[in-house]
Amino acid sequence: MRTLAEIQADFRNAVIHGDTNGIAHELVGGLKPDRRLSVHQRNYETSLVDALLVKFPATGWLIGTPFLTHAAKDFIRAHPPTAPCIAEYGDSFPAFLSVCALAERVSYLRDFAELEWHVGQVAIAVDFAPISAEAFSGVVPDALPNFRLKLQPGLRYLNTSWPVDELMKLYLTETAPEQLELASIEIWLEIRGARGQFQFNRLNPAEFVFRKCISEGGSIGEAAECSLDTDTGVDPGHVLAALISDGLATTVTQTADQHHDNF
Amino acid sequence: MTTPMMCTPPTPGIGLRLAHLEEMVAARPPVGWLEVHPENFLANPHAAELLAELSVHYPVSIHTVGISVGTASGIDRLHLIRIRGLVDQINPIFVSGHLAWSSYGNEYLNDLLPLPYTEETARLVTSHVDELQNTLGRPYLIENPASYVGFKSSAMNETVFLHEIVQRTGCRLLCDVSNVVVSAHNMGSNPQTYIDDFPAEAIAEIHLGGFTPVEDEATPGAELWIDTHAAPIAERSWDLYAHALRRFGPKPTLIEWDNQLPRLTTLVGEARYADRVARTILMETAHADAG
Repeated sequence: MRTLAEIQADFRNAVIHGDTNGIAHELVGGLKPDRRLSVHQRNYETSLVDALLVKFPATGWLIGTPFLTHAAKDFIRAHPPTAPCIAEYGDSFPAFLSVCALAERVSYLRDFAELEWHVGQVAIAVDFAPISAEAFSGVVPDALPNFRLKLQPGLRYLNTSWPVDELMKLYLTETAPEQLELASIEIWLEIRGARGQFQFNRLNPAEFVFRKCISEGGSIGEAAECSLDTDTGVDPGHVLAALISDGLATTVTQTADQHHDNF
Repeated sequence: MTTPMMCTPPTPGIGLRLAHLEEMVAARPPVGWLEVHPENFLANPHAAELLAELSVHYPVSIHTVGISVGTASGIDRLHLIRIRGLVDQINPIFVSGHLAWSSYGNEYLNDLLPLPYTEETARLVTSHVDELQNTLGRPYLIENPASYVGFKSSAMNETVFLHEIVQRTGCRLLCDVSNVVVSAHNMGSNPQTYIDDFPAEAIAEIHLGGFTPVEDEATPGAELWIDTHAAPIAERSWDLYAHALRRFGPKPTLIEWDNQLPRLTTLVGEARYADRVARTILMETAHADAG
């Protein structure tokens, strides 16, 4: 008798790839039981395609729902989910879209879809009480570069060569013109949101790399170096102060195991 | 497994989906309890925050679709730990899942797939339910599936298999009456007999949900009933619910509706109807006992 693992391997092939050869003879149910596997094939495909369409409505608006649906079907066959929280599935879909045929004609497709993914993620975040500048009152200036900040969960950073934020505003305000030609321009976006709300703002490059470095776990010193590499004229202290005054930092730590909400 | 559960809710509850969440918080309609799929809340901190708010006002049950007790390659322990976190946060009245498998290696197939009822499967499910109950620190409820195919290799029927799992693990059962209706139609069995054979002593909860008839590709001219949770509860499900209550006695009952969601008031109406059915059966039973 075949093992459960062998049966499930064949069942999986039937569900994802429609190959019922390995499992058909195992089944009962109706005159041709293997035909009923279409129920599970549809459940798999439809539920995941629907999940992606719900996450990327603006991308569907941009390229058309039929194309997005087709791409989603290809995506779920190539990249099945790896975990049960389907709301977290699809972060690599923008990159997948960038190698689809239509992407050659819509150069900004990946970046637009990434912006939409980030918007969806920040909108379901919750924010926490921010720290104020007083949190640093006891810190001697020489020690400051060794500190790290934890930022609000609903923050993402996106550097793109297209004004996808303008395109997204057209979608959100339902004001798309009949025809639109985007001109390439490098922008540095901060996407911020919480509890159903979101916004995206353009930052200057030095401020962007500073905040992005901090958001990725870099120290204040590392972030300052990044921003100076980008713009030698920038004042990292000013950039840090703006980050704090914008309410984006929630905790400050000197080392991995020492929290300093107040010094 | 000796951890007691909270006292059971007296009136039927509804499955709470994200689309109804804010309205639920604002209106707080009179339903006995709420049941959520944790997978929708673990990935959505804002929704989890609102759920925590609701859990102050309603008993909440956690009904996972992602814990795959029948997966040969093992349950997703990372997911289990996340569920444990939600359980610790909202202290649900029940934690339940399905007699099914959904994962293959590192892939999650997002469906409840059928199992052959063999000794090998029983040992595997027993091992996974033990792990679940030890991790969660409370009894786990297993739901009977809606079936479209079975396996020639099955050595026992579903109710015998469930009885085995209850005996081996001390778990509890969630009897989805609509799944019984769907499976009986699709597999050619008798739904009343299934209810009569169900391990009544282990039942902690009952589910009712809508199904959708489609053409059966396996049998031209016949219908296959799909457990879509996208329609009102069918008359024959209500009839079997009444039969189940006569056999099991009053049990916490939940209305499930996941797709093509109606207005919240429709769900509340279905819960009220379930309450009326339950009260009728209760009175009928009381009169019979008195007579």
